[in-house]
Amino acid sequence: MISRRRFMTHSCGLGVAAATASTTALTLGLTRSVSASTTDGYKALVCILLAGGNDSYNMLLPHDQDQYDEYTKIRSDLALDYDSLLPLSNQSESGRSYAVHPGVDEIRQIYESGDLAFVANVGTLLEPVDAVGIQEGKVRVPLGLFSHSDQIAQWQSAVSYNRTSTYGWGGRMADLLDPNPANGLSMNISLSGTNLFQTGSLVSPYTIYYQGDGANTVWSFPQFWSNGINAHTVVRDLLGVEHDNMLRREYSSRLKGAMDNRDTFVNAIRSAPEFETEFSENYFSGTLKQIARVIGARNTLGQSRQTFFVQYGGWDHHDGVVNYQAAMLPIVSKGLDEFRSALEEIGEFGNVTTFTISDFARTLTSNGKGSDHGWGGHHMVMGGAVKGGEMYGTYPELSEDSPLDVGRGVYIPTTAVEQYFAELALWFGVGRGNLDEVLPAIHNFYSPSGGEAPMGFLV
Amino acid sequence: MFGFVMRVLHLVRHLCFGGALFAGVAVSGIGDDDIGGDPGSDFGVTVTESELNEASRFASQSTFGLPYEVIEEIAKTGRDRWLDQQFDIPPTLHKTIAEDLITRQADGEWQEFVDNPFKLRNVIHRFAWWQQTMTAEDVVRQRVAYALSQFFVVSDKVEVLRTNPYSLTSFYDVLLENAFGNFRDLLKDVALSPAMGLYLSHANNSKANPEENIFPDENFAREVMQLFSIGLYELNIDGSVKVDSDGVPIPTYDNDDIREMAKVFTGLTYAGEGHYWGRNWFWHDDTEVFSLPMIMYENYHEQGEKKLLNGWVVPAGQTGMQDVESAIDNLFYHPNVGPFFCKQLIQRLVTSNPSPAYVERVARAFNGETGSPRGDMKTVLKAILFDTEAELLGNTSAFGRLKEPAVRIVSLSRIFNYTSDSGEYYNTGYRLEYLTGQHPLSSPSVFNFYQPNYSPVGEIADGGMVAPEFQITTATTVIGVTNQIGLAIFYENQAFHTWHPHFETPRIDLTDYEELAANPGDLVDRLNIVLTQGKLSQSSRDIVMDVLDRVEDHKDRAMLAIYLVLISSDYSVED
Repeated sequence: MISRRRFMTHSCGLGVAAATASTTALTLGLTRSVSASTTDGYKALVCILLAGGNDSYNMLLPHDQDQYDEYTKIRSDLALDYDSLLPLSNQSESGRSYAVHPGVDEIRQIYESGDLAFVANVGTLLEPVDAVGIQEGKVRVPLGLFSHSDQIAQWQSAVSYNRTSTYGWGGRMADLLDPNPANGLSMNISLSGTNLFQTGSLVSPYTIYYQGDGANTVWSFPQFWSNGINAHTVVRDLLGVEHDNMLRREYSSRLKGAMDNRDTFVNAIRSAPEFETEFSENYFSGTLKQIARVIGARNTLGQSRQTFFVQYGGWDHHDGVVNYQAAMLPIVSKGLDEFRSALEEIGEFGNVTTFTISDFARTLTSNGKGSDHGWGGHHMVMGGAVKGGEMYGTYPELSEDSPLDVGRGVYIPTTAVEQYFAELALWFGVGRGNLDEVLPAIHNFYSPSGGEAPMGFLV
Repeated sequence: MFGFVMRVLHLVRHLCFGGALFAGVAVSGIGDDDIGGDPGSDFGVTVTESELNEASRFASQSTFGLPYEVIEEIAKTGRDRWLDQQFDIPPTLHKTIAEDLITRQADGEWQEFVDNPFKLRNVIHRFAWWQQTMTAEDVVRQRVAYALSQFFVVSDKVEVLRTNPYSLTSFYDVLLENAFGNFRDLLKDVALSPAMGLYLSHANNSKANPEENIFPDENFAREVMQLFSIGLYELNIDGSVKVDSDGVPIPTYDNDDIREMAKVFTGLTYAGEGHYWGRNWFWHDDTEVFSLPMIMYENYHEQGEKKLLNGWVVPAGQTGMQDVESAIDNLFYHPNVGPFFCKQLIQRLVTSNPSPAYVERVARAFNGETGSPRGDMKTVLKAILFDTEAELLGNTSAFGRLKEPAVRIVSLSRIFNYTSDSGEYYNTGYRLEYLTGQHPLSSPSVFNFYQPNYSPVGEIADGGMVAPEFQITTATTVIGVTNQIGLAIFYENQAFHTWHPHFETPRIDLTDYEELAANPGDLVDRLNIVLTQGKLSQSSRDIVMDVLDRVEDHKDRAMLAIYLVLISSDYSVED
């Protein structure tokens, strides 16, 4: 209750202050060097989308007996056994104790070693709200709450006031930091196809496979070379044909771009340093292994900033949430551990920050089989630059009449996605003066011109 | 005139397909007695090149693609008449293939697989899809059902749906059976489909138990509104979004509406012998559970009144199934359905960017304003396919659509006569999926492979246009589909992947094209008709001709020309 009020006061106050401060900064032309964006050194952000809405109230749980009892009462058949939980040693600022799901011991260990932090109850917001405000219709809330497509899009775009965002905040960062790479290869690299997060107005994600060297080119079939014909020359000629139709132009451009980029990319990744770490044989670990290789090739690729996107789906557990999470969370846990190990081997763990996003958490109450779509949820940030072993944000006090509960145990977020992402973006090199270009609604929750970190989980 | 047309039809049937493809179709209702003369002596009937190109475009919009001989037949028959004939063909169902394969497996035909990692049951629904899609006579129905499968999405990414051969085949049969019926029946049958019940978890969805903090599952209730009927915003008849006085779109429903709708879809569970509430396990060869519509258990249905959309009240005291009917009506009569559904069907079949006027014409046809009942699918399809905008493509620089990978591979297999002696067209689809990221009935989520409003960065987005299929056209998949096409043409049998040699892989038959290749100009002219509807650009043609001039072997020429046109942007985007 106290934490909620603090959040409300804090955020509302800043919203006003921010507008003033930023106007002042512009008017006075304050030294750009303080707030300018930078691509010095090397940094990478790895975005893991747990698509479908991870039931994170069963990933990070209250461990004090009174709160655990509330948890059990609300979650009924979805509650995990107290004895099975893995407690976290560090108490939160509020003096509360928390634990993690029994299947994520690696995550617990990385947390304990100080390289992983939790960020509690993050979600999409237009402005700070509470349940009373919502019931009275006095506050604005994001469009399409509880809808997969909207919430997945809004987490990636960091724009919660419409449904039609074309760009994501990773894309906007690339527009800002590296819009025109010398070799044409996007600094935004996706292991999971096209995605909103990495799409900017100038930069689109470069998609790779997690298998092999990640990229293929157009094959030359025997009927070409046996007749003395260079297949690539012919194909490139075809793709050079001018068209009146813009869809045709787009198609030619994508195929030609894929051929060009593949040559650059494969040459680089083949020269990347080897590592001994063995990765598990599954999709999730496979993607992280490939990312570690690409990070190893970043000098050859000429990239001082990279973002990576992995979508690990299947978290929409309206049915069987307990069993499915017991199978899937360990995959995440082991994958993160392997990734850390490989990055440490190649000396990049301090330069790479990995974070999770998800559509939403889920209803704390059960539908008799699983849980339905919720709102605020808990997330993880891992990396050498993370001030780990801590929980950031505010874990709600669970109660059936919690003022944050909008019904069925759907909790209003106490941290906006903008605050979570601002911390990552500033670390990545986005200047404070450019932060609102990346996160258009940041001023509603945080003042970039102030000296304080948005959340404080990164060095 | 009539007899003349019939004679031509008979000719085409007789000479070109040996009756395999359209036997009994073109001449439906007409006995052989009606056809006079010697079939071989009446070859003077010709159609113009522009008629052929129109027929080819129509085939590309209304089917998965058809070989030259059938395009010729459509040109001679006339598109509207040919479509009416298609409407009359009974559905070629997919579950029959599953039954056949299961029976043969039970009879020991595949005992060698017992200890083999190949699990036949994981791919039976895919075998069925390819077999029927490749061979069915009801080519329009099959194509429309596929378009519907991207609107009412279920997916074999869910294990139970993948491993029970009857689940997805039965679901697809619902789409096939309703493709030329009425949208209301389609929506209701989808809602009661056990595959959908499992996919969106409204099977075994129980009424609330507040003491236990248990409430109805909201999954289906949300998606049936958001995706399957009305969409998120109130729409004008032309598909544009209505806005309030502040210029803000008006949501069609809120979370309270979802919770009310969720109450309606409680009490449903799987039917079949020995059915009981809560059943959530299945035999892999359990036929009935996934073949029969779900049934209502009143004890688990939320009683009482439900307040649905636009003031529609489902009264208390009804049976559960009456509640469902009422909710389906609420959605079906919502003014959004016409523009919402029709615009997406236009996108699947004709163009990513239909003009508002085009959407409006089709939506009005849906609404019954042209004399048919509201929701009549045949009326809607005619309105889409015979609209002047569909018939005169290329009137804007963002017209047409990028052909999706799965359609491109089926299309080339049909156009270039992939055939097998055994008549088998089984395909695991694993190669296609690996290379292109797409396989029918295998969407990553209920949101389909791509979203209807996806807009690629650059001039398409800048122009306010959309191009959904580009959402799955990445650096990996754009190369992948190019290579999949190359494999299918040059390796002759690699459009299909059966994994186990027990099943015969069909092969391409380029006999006609090898003959044409004696004169490269004739070859390219023919490809220009069947693939690009007469719109192959001069530059692309020059590049292909230049390659053919350097090649002696006629088969090599045919393969190279086909491959190059197939991978060109001229073909990839139908304009």
